[in-house]
Amino acid sequence: MMEFHQKTLSNGLVLIGEVNPAAKSAAVGFFVRAGARDETLQINGVSHFLEHMLFKGTERLNAFEVNEAFDSRGAQFNAFTSEEQTVFYAAVLPEYLIDITGLWAELMRPALRDDDFTIEKNVIKEEIAMYQDTPAFDVMDRCRSLHFGEHPCGRSVLGTVETIDVLTAGQMREYFSNRYAPNNMVVACTGNFDWDRLVVVVEAASGRWPAQSVGRTLTDFAGTKQSAQAAKPNLKREHICLMNTGVSAQDPRRFAASLLSLVVGDDYGSRYYWELVDKALVEEASMHFGPMDGAGIFYNYFCCGTDNGARVMDIVNGIFRDLARGGIIEEELIKARNKVLSALVIKNEVPMGRLVDLGFHWMYLGEYRSIEQDVESVKAVTVDQVNSLIRDLDLNSYTQYVLAPTTGA
Amino acid sequence: MEQRIDKYVLPNGMVLLGEPMAGVESVAFDIMLPAGVAWMPAGCSGAANVISDWVFRGAGSRDSHKLGDALDGLGLHRSSSIGSSHMYLGAALESSNLAQALALYGDVILHPHLSDEQFEPARGLIVEELHGLDDEPRQKVMIELRRRFYPDPLGRSTVGEIDDLQSLTAVKARELAGRHLNSPRSIFSVAGKYDFDAVCRQLESLFGRQQAESLSPLAVGLRGPKYTHIPHEGAQVHIGLMTPTARFMDKGYYDARAAVSVLSGGMSSRLFTEVREKRGLCYAVGAKYHSLKEAAGIACYAGTTPDKAQETLDVIIGEFNRLAQGIEEQELQRAKVGLKSALIMQSESSSSRSGSIGSDYYMLGRVRTLDEIKSRIEARTVDSVLDFLARNPFRDFTVVTIGPKEVRVG
Repeated sequence: MMEFHQKTLSNGLVLIGEVNPAAKSAAVGFFVRAGARDETLQINGVSHFLEHMLFKGTERLNAFEVNEAFDSRGAQFNAFTSEEQTVFYAAVLPEYLIDITGLWAELMRPALRDDDFTIEKNVIKEEIAMYQDTPAFDVMDRCRSLHFGEHPCGRSVLGTVETIDVLTAGQMREYFSNRYAPNNMVVACTGNFDWDRLVVVVEAASGRWPAQSVGRTLTDFAGTKQSAQAAKPNLKREHICLMNTGVSAQDPRRFAASLLSLVVGDDYGSRYYWELVDKALVEEASMHFGPMDGAGIFYNYFCCGTDNGARVMDIVNGIFRDLARGGIIEEELIKARNKVLSALVIKNEVPMGRLVDLGFHWMYLGEYRSIEQDVESVKAVTVDQVNSLIRDLDLNSYTQYVLAPTTGA
Repeated sequence: MEQRIDKYVLPNGMVLLGEPMAGVESVAFDIMLPAGVAWMPAGCSGAANVISDWVFRGAGSRDSHKLGDALDGLGLHRSSSIGSSHMYLGAALESSNLAQALALYGDVILHPHLSDEQFEPARGLIVEELHGLDDEPRQKVMIELRRRFYPDPLGRSTVGEIDDLQSLTAVKARELAGRHLNSPRSIFSVAGKYDFDAVCRQLESLFGRQQAESLSPLAVGLRGPKYTHIPHEGAQVHIGLMTPTARFMDKGYYDARAAVSVLSGGMSSRLFTEVREKRGLCYAVGAKYHSLKEAAGIACYAGTTPDKAQETLDVIIGEFNRLAQGIEEQELQRAKVGLKSALIMQSESSSSRSGSIGSDYYMLGRVRTLDEIKSRIEARTVDSVLDFLARNPFRDFTVVTIGPKEVRVG
């Protein structure tokens, strides 16, 4: 059975672990509260660029040695950066977990060499170009900026070619020293591993990091509810993104919000599915709930032919109006609940799947939540709670961004 | 727990496979129907894709809505896809709902309504999917690559062609569904928590009466052109290239896998090191092994801004060629550890195991145990891989680019 452990080092670094001795693997993650929202406009993109630079090594290790150290232990490892955090993770066989955790801990104090910075800048700009060729991502990024306006959550995670071009290694070092403080990160571990050995290896590598006091000021934000569009010559389809106000990752209504997003916009069987996908009006229609630190959104995405855009929006507005008028019904809630519960079971059977929930719960709530607690919270949501949430949120008012082909192209 | 593979063959020849997994509450199943895109007649590309949507639009006693509600009510996560040889219908769910899920899938495969009124939206959705690919150059380049690399019809687009989709009729699609879905050549696999006897009894009563159809073997034609450029005013040139190698059931298979892993297994692999770490040419670059029963290849993708496209392609082909000149012992060790770790970690997922045992059986006529795979990987040496590469050099590249600029090939 799962056993939970927690320890806070004297410098503020938190270690958490959920041991499952029956697992065939283990996963470890370093969760850092450093994302696009923690940047200024001038250094936009630095969190993500810094994530890349951590793989370039320390005073002791160069980039090739880092890669070899991970690969020689068969680690499946990577990192991602969002508006709110940077997460470094690895899934490994149990015998390598301690080595890999020690390696990650070491990498959290990177060399940030100028020549690595210069080469990696090219890779970052290629990543920006790749996502420009991925309209589903591009329209979401643009819509997020529009939705959040001046609020820091509107910053692009990747930054722009312009901000990346002028960013200096010095600016990155300064940002690093302000965000990668021990009290601003959590080390989480799941699966088959020895907790005591984990504590020893993390303490050895990071116990001497000086304590700092780093935080984040939270401001709730309902969104600008503006509308914008852009045309691109390479597109053939219309890509529509809508953002509605949601609830935060700390809000008790987040379970109801998550169920609501499935009722409205799951891949199968949702209102979007029957009204739009089943009728072949769109290739894709989805709604996802995005709980964040002190704020929240629902993001909706539709991809359709250019002659269908107006009709699709009429139907979506009708769905929002119906929800405001009549709410959801019991059958819809039961289906959504069953989907969430089976997804929880399937995801948590693999240590890497479990790691993400374990780490995020601690980052957002500062507490441990067992799988059983999450299951109970999902089961406890009633139709009335979802409908009261719908009344609170006013889905009919949203931010909209449309990416379309250049006319006449 | 000692790994166990369950197997039962129905009297009509349909094979049922299972792998029980300790400590899981989930179960996943896959049904491989001999209805892949290569088996569709000329002029009917895309029919398999349309059928895979159409069958869920009403089956048995349920109309489209009721069937969708019944599947959703089981909390089931559907996975349908089309490959060259098969149509794959599968799902993952909590194990207590397995029998009900199998009954519903029995209806979908054996008693789909395939009504005229549901044909148009089913076809319409696939047409939407096909148009959507125009805005997804990263996906499209690999579809166009396989089409040219494999001899026709093996590499056909699994989405379909617009002309074929537009001329496809409900009558024709219904005839194809009747011929290809209801077949004892289907392979059923299940992994996770299940009762194999109960599964076999249920599937025997559902599928036991199907009779084998006579089928002429696939007539395999020619491969496509060596280089194709598709103009696209995007930000990057998307490069796909593919070269032939040993098939899944060939003697050199494990050497080929080790070679691909040295080339592109982890971040210390050759392509990542030379293309991204040293030169900063790409964000995304990588090569993967891909095998059909009839042919196999190593498929590589790279995306880069137009001015770097030629250098990217040249460096990649250079790395493919350099491999046969020598591999360091440590490189091979990392490749082997990576392959073994991935194997064990995938074995924790019921969906992954169910898919693997089904495809093993199709390719080999038996299921490999994890121990067998591990020992085959462990037996690779620098000499065995170099010897394989000497006998099967990487050459005969097929290249496709999508983007604002062409490259020179060869």
